[in-house]
Amino acid sequence: MFPRRSRADAVVGRPDWLSVSYLLGAALLCYYVVPLVSLVVGQPPGAVLRRLTAPEVVSAASTSLTASAASAAVATLFGLPLAYWLARAEGRAETLVTALVVLPLVLPPVVSGMVLLTVVGPETLLGRLAAAGGVPLTRSLVGIVLAQTFVASPFVVVTAKAAFEGVDRHLEHASRSLGESRLATFRRVTLPLAWPGIIAGITLAFARAIGEFGATIMLAYYPRTMPVQIWVSFTTLGLENAFPVAVVLVGIAVATLVVLETLGRNPLE
Amino acid sequence: MLELTGLSKSYDGFAFGPVDLAVGAEVLSVLGPSGSGKTTLLSLIAGIVRPDAGSVSLDGRRLDGRPVEARGTGLVFQDGALFPHLTARENVGYAATGPDRVEELAALLEIEDVLDRRPPDLSGGERQRVALARTLAADPDALLLDEPLSSLDAPIRRRLRRELRTLFESLDVPVVYVTHDQRTATALGDRLAVFRDGTVEQVGSPSAVLERPETRFVAEFTGNRNLFEATVAERSGDATTVRFGERSLRTDGTATPGSAVTVCIHPSRVRLRTPGEAPDGGTTDERPDEGAPGEPPGEATTGEAPEATAGTTLPGTVADWLNEGADYRVRVDLDGAPATLTATVQPPAFERLGIGSGTPVRAEVPPAAVHLIPHESGN
Repeated sequence: MFPRRSRADAVVGRPDWLSVSYLLGAALLCYYVVPLVSLVVGQPPGAVLRRLTAPEVVSAASTSLTASAASAAVATLFGLPLAYWLARAEGRAETLVTALVVLPLVLPPVVSGMVLLTVVGPETLLGRLAAAGGVPLTRSLVGIVLAQTFVASPFVVVTAKAAFEGVDRHLEHASRSLGESRLATFRRVTLPLAWPGIIAGITLAFARAIGEFGATIMLAYYPRTMPVQIWVSFTTLGLENAFPVAVVLVGIAVATLVVLETLGRNPLE
Repeated sequence: MLELTGLSKSYDGFAFGPVDLAVGAEVLSVLGPSGSGKTTLLSLIAGIVRPDAGSVSLDGRRLDGRPVEARGTGLVFQDGALFPHLTARENVGYAATGPDRVEELAALLEIEDVLDRRPPDLSGGERQRVALARTLAADPDALLLDEPLSSLDAPIRRRLRRELRTLFESLDVPVVYVTHDQRTATALGDRLAVFRDGTVEQVGSPSAVLERPETRFVAEFTGNRNLFEATVAERSGDATTVRFGERSLRTDGTATPGSAVTVCIHPSRVRLRTPGEAPDGGTTDERPDEGAPGEPPGEATTGEAPEATAGTTLPGTVADWLNEGADYRVRVDLDGAPATLTATVQPPAFERLGIGSGTPVRAEVPPAAVHLIPHESGN
């Protein structure tokens, strides 16, 4: 009927741009890995081991781990309900609240620390009351957790929100029409299905918390976390002395990511 | 008994209701195009959506304000909505009322072999069986189904349709079955409700709705294309004559002479003959496919019918035809009337008539098959 020219012929011999573009991704990956490897390789194992057992490094490592775990836990406890509400809400309120949640991500961490000091600083009402009650909100583990939670918890909310949104509402309606309450439905259907995404959010929050420096140093110069210790080593003893501590931090961070990733593979089983 | 009273709900750009319906221990098929409010109806009954006004009661209990989980309305979704992280067995057992329910229902719905599979590994038909078993395991007081067969292949759909019919007969709870497929609606429903723009257009037995639609919309949506504008010419006794174009049609429907009506003739009631053939019980065997399913029972008697109640014969020419698998749909341009009449023709008759474009034929329409829709409700 009509003369036909196959489009397929025109494609033959063209370069496959998608494959070429993978090279760009590979270059970015190298950009992540090469400095890390060069850091680790550049440090004599002896020096790293010596620093690993130094009291200030041990103390900083345990402070960092404790505070980051606590921050991730707080972010999860308070973040999941908010994430679920955001996932199921619609309209302008949802848009506005999502914007508020993302705000700490776009603030420079030092500014986050300054903002927090105006509420929990030693001269504020809240700060004085808490200190009088024996729980100082600055220069304490609580202070670190406050700083880390502010900066890291949006990762839990944003990622878990997406995970909850991925759970088909029909499944929740089906569960409830079978006689299960909203809470039971959440526990038996929504949570298991959203679990991998939630774990990803907790992982990101933990990773952000353990690397947190700007807000932490404003609220709690002591007790020192690893990033603060690295900063102190760098400013007082020079770059050479900061490197081994950095290697320790990298090791701890990688180890925790591996642990959390394993958890995410087996949702609640 | 499931009773809906003045149930209504408005969304942006869509208004549902008010709808009044009562469903006893029977199957009510709800038929309507997409956007006619079928799914909204189920959501309102199940409590997923709250009505703006009106009331739902089940077995005398008012369900208004009750949450989804406290209504006793089991809902089966179009896609099954199986929990993907659970096996078929765990799905069926999710809210089972007793320890033996899973095995019982697995046997009833023939899913014993697939109980240990997860939903992604189930076929479409198996998924719907598991979904149905899961809902029945919770012993609902009413069963609501939202197009559970629509995503299945035709052979599985036909088979499940038959099985569902048997299953529904064994239940003594109200069943509301939503579909946009007329065949499924008529096959499963004890009664049929046709929805349009959020309201009930007609409720009745499937055959009544199909053959005596109250509105043009119902006729068109149930697949009837034989709708002609006509005027009632005269009425004598229980016979009425209507005129359209130069043609007149006898009907046993009643209407006021002089009024305008829409004539509605179900395609399966139209008989086609070649011009030379004798009408009604002539020399040729007219019914090679006697007793075939879908053949209207009334037609068998027309052969012996006296002249006074005999049907109308309309001459015409075949415009085109379509093989629809089980039968042929033949369109005939009528002589002396600006109208095209559609007839469903069984394959043996189709071959005997030697139908092709331009074949001259005579269409016989028995009076009982000519249904009149008065214009007040006909829009």
